[in-house]
Amino acid sequence: MKWAVELSQARAGMTGEDWRTDFTLSVLPGEFVALVGPSRSGKGLILKLCAGLVAPEEGTVRVLDHDLASLDSEELAELRRRIGVVLQQPGLRSNMTLYTNVTLPLVYHLGVDEETLQPQVLPLLDALGLAPMKKYFPSQLTLGEARCAALARALVMNQELLLLDEPMAGLDAETAQRVDRVLAEYRRTHAVTILVSMHNPSVLLERADRIAFVRRGRIEAAGPYADMAKTPDVALRAYLGGRSVA
Amino acid sequence: MIGWLGQKTIDGYMYLTDLSAQVYVTLRELVTPGRQGRWASLRVTLRQMLFTGVDALPVVSAIALMLGLIVIMQAGTQLPKVGGEGLIGSIIVVVIIRELGPLTTAILVIGRSGAAITTELGNMRVAQEITALELMGIRTSRYIVMPRVVAMVFSMLCLIFYFDAIAVLGGFIIARIKLTIPFYTFAGAVAQSLSLVDVLGTVVKGVLFGTTVAVVCCHHGLSVRSSYTEVPQQVTKAMINSITICLLVDMLVTVAAYF
Repeated sequence: MKWAVELSQARAGMTGEDWRTDFTLSVLPGEFVALVGPSRSGKGLILKLCAGLVAPEEGTVRVLDHDLASLDSEELAELRRRIGVVLQQPGLRSNMTLYTNVTLPLVYHLGVDEETLQPQVLPLLDALGLAPMKKYFPSQLTLGEARCAALARALVMNQELLLLDEPMAGLDAETAQRVDRVLAEYRRTHAVTILVSMHNPSVLLERADRIAFVRRGRIEAAGPYADMAKTPDVALRAYLGGRSVA
Repeated sequence: MIGWLGQKTIDGYMYLTDLSAQVYVTLRELVTPGRQGRWASLRVTLRQMLFTGVDALPVVSAIALMLGLIVIMQAGTQLPKVGGEGLIGSIIVVVIIRELGPLTTAILVIGRSGAAITTELGNMRVAQEITALELMGIRTSRYIVMPRVVAMVFSMLCLIFYFDAIAVLGGFIIARIKLTIPFYTFAGAVAQSLSLVDVLGTVVKGVLFGTTVAVVCCHHGLSVRSSYTEVPQQVTKAMINSITICLLVDMLVTVAAYF
């Protein structure tokens, strides 16, 4: 597999915008790429294209060696077992506890009882600070806790590709540090490719192998954090943690 | 006017095509071998059976008892005027077991469980729970729709037979008190009037009503897109369409069995 993710002139419409996207991006296996840019620039759309939630009107999207356009629904479901996705809305099942939500993909795909999964799942919940809330229902969680639970659910299947939409949004400083530590540990122990979208400066940006700046449906610049930080573009500098956009 | 009629016809055809496709996918999921999702789907099926079947017993009992009482009360006061006292058994079989039992049960299940299914799935859609399931590689046809169809068919069948039994009991209570007909005479009259076609007809109606209600309600629940205000709209559509299709199915089965 040469590329884990390959978007080639992928065009799609953004609701409420008069422009169309034109994304060309290649991500190596094991690479960590952070997409930064303003809201409604198309960062989330890149993740949705990669997850097969949105089909491009033109161009191709290849993920883990599969052209998404050529897959039927069963093949897509099979491919998604290898991809962990966290959208901005956590999408936890409201009638399940945090623990059963996190174990759901394992219970469904492996046909095992959730109680037998405790040795595998509890350390992850503990690392994310969720262990005390494992019996809570989603309505009893804060948005940040629910988003952490969605992240845990995406990590339990030992995915090859992680697509994370604003993983730090709504998290307090302590939880953000925990998420950062968990992702760093996950990267160290798994051969995983990570594509993450951010609209605020975060410690994750410094950990990324590459930063891609997205504006109005196009990737305007891409490169390592250190190079991107030297850019004269004040808007980009603001997303990387610079002082002023004026 | 003609354009409107044409559009409605096309919409109706597309709707029935969608429902048929859903039934096909559900049957395929049911017979497809493989361990994936079986255990999780079985748990959803059992939970749905508990809600649709077991939890509905009190309300089904009350309505069946009252319906049996009413039918035999009316028949018992009118039949002697035309010399038809011996037709009590036939009235029970024709009115309750053949028609009112299955139809009333279906309407109760639609109002109770069908509405709940559409509401639950609609809310799941808006809260992106369905999207999250799909992103985990969990097929909605296997984890959401198929268990509900299986549970609904099984529960509907059991509830119809239960409804018939309680309604006959209600009829007997009136026959005993008002018409002073002894139990053996009453039971003999019902058994004599009951044929194999009646039992098979009830089974066929139970299976078709259960499938119809589950598929229609799941379809409307999953048709919700982005707003909670769509949920009650889809629930209303699911109720009306479920009742209409059940009546249509009832008519077809009755014509096929007795015409």
